[in-house]
Amino acid sequence: MKTGIKLVALVGVLSLLMVGASLAADYPTKPITLINPMPPGGTLDLQARAFATIAEKMLGQPIVVVNKVGATGMVGGLAGAQATPDGYTLTVGSVNLTNAVEWEIANGRKPPFTRHDFIGIGSFTMSPTLLIVHPDAPYKSLADFISDAKAKPGQLAFCSGGLYGMSHLPVEILGHGAGVKFRHVPYSGGGPCLAAVVGKHVDFGAQYPPTTLPLVRGNKLKVLAVIGGKRLKSIPNIPTVKELGIDAEYYGWVGILAPLKTPKPIVDKLREVTRKVAEDKKFIDMIEEPGDEVYFLNGDELAKYLDVESAKIAKVDAELAKEAPKK
Amino acid sequence: MDVLNNLYNGFQVALTFKNVYLCFIGCLWGTVVGVLPGIGPLAGIALLIPATFGMDATGAIIMLAGIYYGAMYGGSTTSILMNIPGESASVVTCIDGYQMTRKGRGGAALFIAAWGSWVGGTLGVAGLMLLAPFLANFAMKFGPPEMFAVLLVAFILLGSLGKGSFFKTVPMILMGLLVGTIGMDPLTGTMRFTHGIKELYDGIGFIPVAMGAFGIGEILVSTEESLIREIFKVRLRELLPTRKEFRASWGPIFRGTGLGFVIGLLPGSAHVLASFVSYTVEKRVAKNPEEFGTGRIEGVAGPETANNAASESAMIPFLGLGIPTGPAPAVMMIALLIHGVRPGPLFITEQPQIFWGLIASMYIGNVILVILNLPLVGIFVNLLRVPFRILFPIILLICLVGTYSVNASTSELLILLSFGVFGYVFRKLEYDIAPFILAIIIGPTIEMAFRQSLMRSAGSFAIFWESPITLTLIGLSGVLLLWNIYRAVRPKATWEKALEEGE
Repeated sequence: MKTGIKLVALVGVLSLLMVGASLAADYPTKPITLINPMPPGGTLDLQARAFATIAEKMLGQPIVVVNKVGATGMVGGLAGAQATPDGYTLTVGSVNLTNAVEWEIANGRKPPFTRHDFIGIGSFTMSPTLLIVHPDAPYKSLADFISDAKAKPGQLAFCSGGLYGMSHLPVEILGHGAGVKFRHVPYSGGGPCLAAVVGKHVDFGAQYPPTTLPLVRGNKLKVLAVIGGKRLKSIPNIPTVKELGIDAEYYGWVGILAPLKTPKPIVDKLREVTRKVAEDKKFIDMIEEPGDEVYFLNGDELAKYLDVESAKIAKVDAELAKEAPKK
Repeated sequence: MDVLNNLYNGFQVALTFKNVYLCFIGCLWGTVVGVLPGIGPLAGIALLIPATFGMDATGAIIMLAGIYYGAMYGGSTTSILMNIPGESASVVTCIDGYQMTRKGRGGAALFIAAWGSWVGGTLGVAGLMLLAPFLANFAMKFGPPEMFAVLLVAFILLGSLGKGSFFKTVPMILMGLLVGTIGMDPLTGTMRFTHGIKELYDGIGFIPVAMGAFGIGEILVSTEESLIREIFKVRLRELLPTRKEFRASWGPIFRGTGLGFVIGLLPGSAHVLASFVSYTVEKRVAKNPEEFGTGRIEGVAGPETANNAASESAMIPFLGLGIPTGPAPAVMMIALLIHGVRPGPLFITEQPQIFWGLIASMYIGNVILVILNLPLVGIFVNLLRVPFRILFPIILLICLVGTYSVNASTSELLILLSFGVFGYVFRKLEYDIAPFILAIIIGPTIEMAFRQSLMRSAGSFAIFWESPITLTLIGLSGVLLLWNIYRAVRPKATWEKALEEGE
């Protein structure tokens, strides 16, 4: 009896695999949906749409970007994780998604999905943030800044565009790496946070280069360091935190994810296309014109990077969760 | 002379066939997203960004800005005709605008809304043109404590928003504040009143609440009155405001422009706040404030002007410094970034053709919008000739589709309908909905400003009187509060008593 069930299951799995194989041969035969868990109009959305425009030409089928927004990316992420794994529903993965999941775990809640519910197709940006202060601030270098922060623990205030986002976690990781404590004031969005540094309402902040660099040129802000491992082409004289001996690399990545059980031939085809998109001249222009840089990771590299990243966030999140006010 | 010279160059950019065409498309699309309830300027701009991929930066920003200020024109239409806010900045227009329609003055209300929008919009562009760099730096001085102080003043003014008594306004405000706390606390990440329901993590959206409480609530009340309610007949000559209505509108329009322009500089969705503050101010300065809520033209003219002026000045931090402090300018900023233009403090001097081209296009756009909207008044008013038993399912459908189109979320439909019932019940109990809605808007913002200030100062309240701006504003709110109390307890003059007894 039991072997019978096993046999049936085996046949079933095999036939499914074969269906998968035949599907992959002429995949895609219909339009592909790309779920973006973040709202339309943001940088992330535009990068996803740039990817869709180039990739649909290579695949020969339209790619429709659908914004499924809610609960800091949880709603769209869950829809993507639970989609039929046939290669026709893909998800825009980003640092927002992994951050939200890690934060749920750190607070003892069970996240509705994790990165292990997806298989990585590839990612195409890895953007560091810049540590910015007001030009009147008494710091000449990151070393000055860190020693001042050590002298006044918990007194230097920074702004973020929102909790556990790309302007909050890099600073916490920097503090963790340098062994100092900062005071966090969350704002609603990157713009208000920039305004807070320019208007001296906080002491410093961390922001992406595209919006920050014009303010640096106009002498409204000063950059102390790149919170990453590689200097930027646009500001070659600004050192990275890694050069200065602090382990605080952290990047905003954007990539494409598929549900975990997507057949291997389809995954391979999508990975191949993603690699080609990342090398496409027009795509590179669409990403680099606004001031970002294309940095391609294939599916396996992305998975490896995410393991390192998650371990890092988990440590910081656990500390933050401990300090957070209890209900 | 420098300004005139630059403006002349700007018009040379804006008056090319292509740019006038793009400006027209932007204004038209803006009017459409403004008229359609649910979908607002933010979604309207975001939807059209991919369409700008093939344009140059100047054309793209001319079109997208057109959507933003164009939506302020269209937003009043459904508010006035159907009591459904077409756009968040037009919620307050429902109060007197819809009453005017019921009195057969809907055409006049629409006319004044378009006229006020033009004045507010055009003077707003002039302010933007002359003062952008100066005001951008001034706007940076507004940190959390200043923001808190401003909102405190607005909040006290809010007490007089309702037409009912103090005891019917305050419970609605408190309830609005409660609804506003639902969702993730933006400062700690703690979930408040979500009961593990993921759809509530982002809080209760203010658009479905306003559309439900006003629009659906109104439908429910009307069906109860009669399915064959009288049609609000409007004759052509009644479309135009009377001389008396024109005269009454001048004050609100100019006050609305000033208020809107200043409030627009504040971070966040300032045009919404601007419309509410303008309404309450008009009610304060009016000779017989008790008539507000029964269809006073001032209650349409002020707010509809203020939201236009605010939408122009909200672009100042973005154009003058490259720091978008509201959601719509943030999306426009991204549109410029895609085209390789990075707005910053040097933007106006380094890219004069874009900045001055945009300014010139905004003058043109405001003229286009007035030409576009005035003939529409006649068409829209004709909608009211449709029998109510046919009109009301259509209104219901528009509300449902409009709400669904924003986030593709079925839970928001549920929120829309529940607040429809809520609006119906509280209208029957003769409570006002407007203070409830405004509390939902201001509550989270004032809480955030207050707590951000205290987070910055590590719990010291001294942060609220360290800067002269906050000190002045907090003093002002104290005076307003005392004045309110005095008015409530002072012995009434005999003529006032006679008036009350007469009612």
